[in-house]
Amino acid sequence: MERGNPEDKEMTVDIIKEIYDAVLEGNVDEASSRVQQALNSKVEVKEILNRGLIAAMDLVGEKFGEGELFIPQVLWSAKAMQGGMDLLKPHFSPTDRAEKGTVVIGTAKGDIHDIGKNLVAIMLEGSGFKVADLGVDVTPERFVEKAVEVKADVIAMSALLTTTMQSMGEVVSVIKAKKLPFKVIIGGAPVDQAFCQEIGADAYGMDAADGLRKVKGLLGR
Amino acid sequence: METGLNNQCTPQFRLLDEAQILRIYQTALRILDEVGVRVNLTKAVDILAGHGARVRDKNVVEIPSFLVEAAVQSAPSNVTLYNRKKEPVMELGGRRIYFGTGTDLPKTVDLVTREIRDTKADDIVASTVISDAAPNIDFIASYGLPRDIPPGLHYIRCFQLEVENSVKPIFFTAGSLQDLKVILDMASAVAGSSRELARYPFLIQYSEPTSPLTHSEEAVSKLICCAENRVPINYTPALLAGSTGPVTLAGALSVAVAEALSGIVIHQLAAQGAPIITGVVATGMDMLKATISYTAPEFRLTHSAYADLFHYLGLPIWGTAGCSDAQFPDLQAGAEYGFTLLNAALDGCNLIHDCGYIGQGFVASPEMILFADEVIAMVKRYMRGFEIDDEHLAMDVIRKVGPGGHFLSEKHTRDHFMKEHWRPTLFNRENLPNWIKKGKKTVDQKLIEKALEILKNHKPEPLPQGIKESLGRIWKEATQKTRR
Repeated sequence: MERGNPEDKEMTVDIIKEIYDAVLEGNVDEASSRVQQALNSKVEVKEILNRGLIAAMDLVGEKFGEGELFIPQVLWSAKAMQGGMDLLKPHFSPTDRAEKGTVVIGTAKGDIHDIGKNLVAIMLEGSGFKVADLGVDVTPERFVEKAVEVKADVIAMSALLTTTMQSMGEVVSVIKAKKLPFKVIIGGAPVDQAFCQEIGADAYGMDAADGLRKVKGLLGR
Repeated sequence: METGLNNQCTPQFRLLDEAQILRIYQTALRILDEVGVRVNLTKAVDILAGHGARVRDKNVVEIPSFLVEAAVQSAPSNVTLYNRKKEPVMELGGRRIYFGTGTDLPKTVDLVTREIRDTKADDIVASTVISDAAPNIDFIASYGLPRDIPPGLHYIRCFQLEVENSVKPIFFTAGSLQDLKVILDMASAVAGSSRELARYPFLIQYSEPTSPLTHSEEAVSKLICCAENRVPINYTPALLAGSTGPVTLAGALSVAVAEALSGIVIHQLAAQGAPIITGVVATGMDMLKATISYTAPEFRLTHSAYADLFHYLGLPIWGTAGCSDAQFPDLQAGAEYGFTLLNAALDGCNLIHDCGYIGQGFVASPEMILFADEVIAMVKRYMRGFEIDDEHLAMDVIRKVGPGGHFLSEKHTRDHFMKEHWRPTLFNRENLPNWIKKGKKTVDQKLIEKALEILKNHKPEPLPQGIKESLGRIWKEATQKTRR
C-alpha cells in the first residue's frame, strides 16, 4: 500500500485511535475487530502494535499506578490487548521482535499464594512481555531450568510467607554460580528492598504496578 | 422461580419490642397528663387550654393523651427538604438516613496552626464550603458561633454566610423570635416569597424545650412561628440523666419523650399538618466532671429507644452522631465517630446532626467534617447489605474458574466490583512500602490537606447577585436595629 495519501493517513490515525480506546476501555471484542479492520486496510503491523495496543496498555499501567483504574479494569484491558496481539502475530516478519522480553514467573517453593503473582503476570503480558508462568510452589531448579529453556530475560518470584521467601535467595545463588544472564525480581507482602539486597536480587516490586515498572527498568525498555 | 426469599439482606437493628415501646410511650403520656409541662408563653397556654388541656399555677399545662394522639396523627410522617434551588434532596421519614453538621461551636481548632481559638465568621464560611464539597454531608449547619460578630446578630450572619456558600439545606438556630423572623425574611428572599419558602423549604429551624418539662418563651415562640409559616422545625429536648431528668435511662427517656411530644401538640394545634421533626437527647451528666457526654453508651441506648418509639408513631426523626467528647481530633474521636455514626444509621434516624463535632459540643475542627464524611460513606455501604440472587451467588463463574484458579480476570468480577465493594477516599489501604514512599501520611494529615485543598479549589454555586444584594439589605437593617 502506498503511503502518503492524506485520506489513508487520516484513516490510519482514526483506526489506531479506536484500537487504543478499545484497549483502554477493556473492550475485548471492539479491540479485536478494529485490529482486524486495520490489518485488512493494510495498516502497518508495527503501528498497530506500538501506537495502538502497547501505547494504550502503557497508559493503563500508569493509571493503575495512580489509582485511577482498578485491577479488574486493568485485566480486561490486558485481555483486549492480548486479543489484538493474537491477530497480529501471524503478520510479524521474522525480524520483528514481538515481545518486549521474556519473563519466567512463579511463587516461591512451598508457597501457594498466587494472586499477586497472577496480577504481575497479567500486567506483564498486557504490556507486551512474553510470560512463562510456572504457577505455584516452584523449586529454584525449576525456575532456572525454565529460564534457560525459554531464553528468559527475567525471573520473577513472589512469596507471601516469611518461611518461603528464603528459597528465592537460592535462585539467585544458582544464577550467580552458573553465571547465567537472568535478572531476578522479587515481590510479596513480607519482602522488602532490604531483603532484595540481602539475597542479591536485581529488583523488588512493592506491588503489581511497581513490579511491571521495575521489569521494564531492568531491561531498559 | 424462587419463592419466599428476599434477595436483599440489610443490617437490621431494633432495641425495643412493641410492648416496651408502648410502656415508654404510655409513661410519657402519663407525665403529660399528671405532671404537665410549664409553658412560658401565654399564647401557647391559651391554645392548649382552648383544646382541652388543664392549666394550673398559671402556666403549668396538663395535656390529656387524646391531644397528644391527635397531634401525632396530624403531624406529617414525611417531610421533604429542598435545596436552595428548589430541588427535593431529603425525604425525612421512614428509615431514610441523612447526615449533616451541628450548630454553634464557640471554639475552633485552627486548620493551619492547630491551636484552639475562638470561632470567627470566616470559620462559618470555611465549614460551609467544606460541607458543600463533602458528598455525604446532606445538610449544613453553622458549625460555629462566631465571636467576631456581635451577640444578637451572629445567628443571622451565620445563616447568611451559609446560604451564600452552599445550595444544601440549612439546619439553623436562632437566638430569639426576632432573629428567626429576620432569617425567615432572608430565606423568603432566596425562595422568592414566604409562600414559595413554605412550598420548597430548604431550611430547618432547630429549637429546644428545656428539661425538665419546660417550654421557654423563646423556644415556644419559635415553635409557633415556624408552624404558622410552615417552615420545618426540629424541636428536641436535651436532657441530662441525673441532673435535668431522672438518672435511670427509662425515666430519662420518658421525660424527654414527654417534652418532645408536648412540643408537637403545641405545634400542631398552632398549625395542623405543619412540618416538624422530633427526637431527643437523653444522655448522662458526668457526675465527676459535671460535663455532658455526646457519645456515652447510655446516650446511644436512649437514642435507639426513642428512634424505635418515633418510628412506631410514624414521625420524622432527628439524630445525633459523628461527634466526640475528645477536645482534639484524636483516637478517641475516631472511635466515637465510628460508634455513633453506625449506631444512628442502624436506628434509622432521618436528620442526623452534629457530624464534625468534638469537645462535647464546644469545639469545631473543620477537617473532622471530612472524617465524618468518610465514616458515613463506610456506614452507608454497610447499611446497603448485599444481594442474594443467582447473579450474586455467582454459581456460573464459580464453576468456570474451578478449584485453584482465580477470579480476577472474570467478567463477573469486572461487572460487580465497583458496586459491591466500597473503597475509602482517605482511609489508608496502601501497603507498607507504598505508604512509606508516599510520605507516611496518617489520616489526620490527609484530612487537613483535603480540607485546605477544598478551601482553595471548591467553588460553591453562587447565589444570584440580586438575591445576594437583598440579603445584604436585610443584614444591614438588622445591624441598624440592634444598634438602636
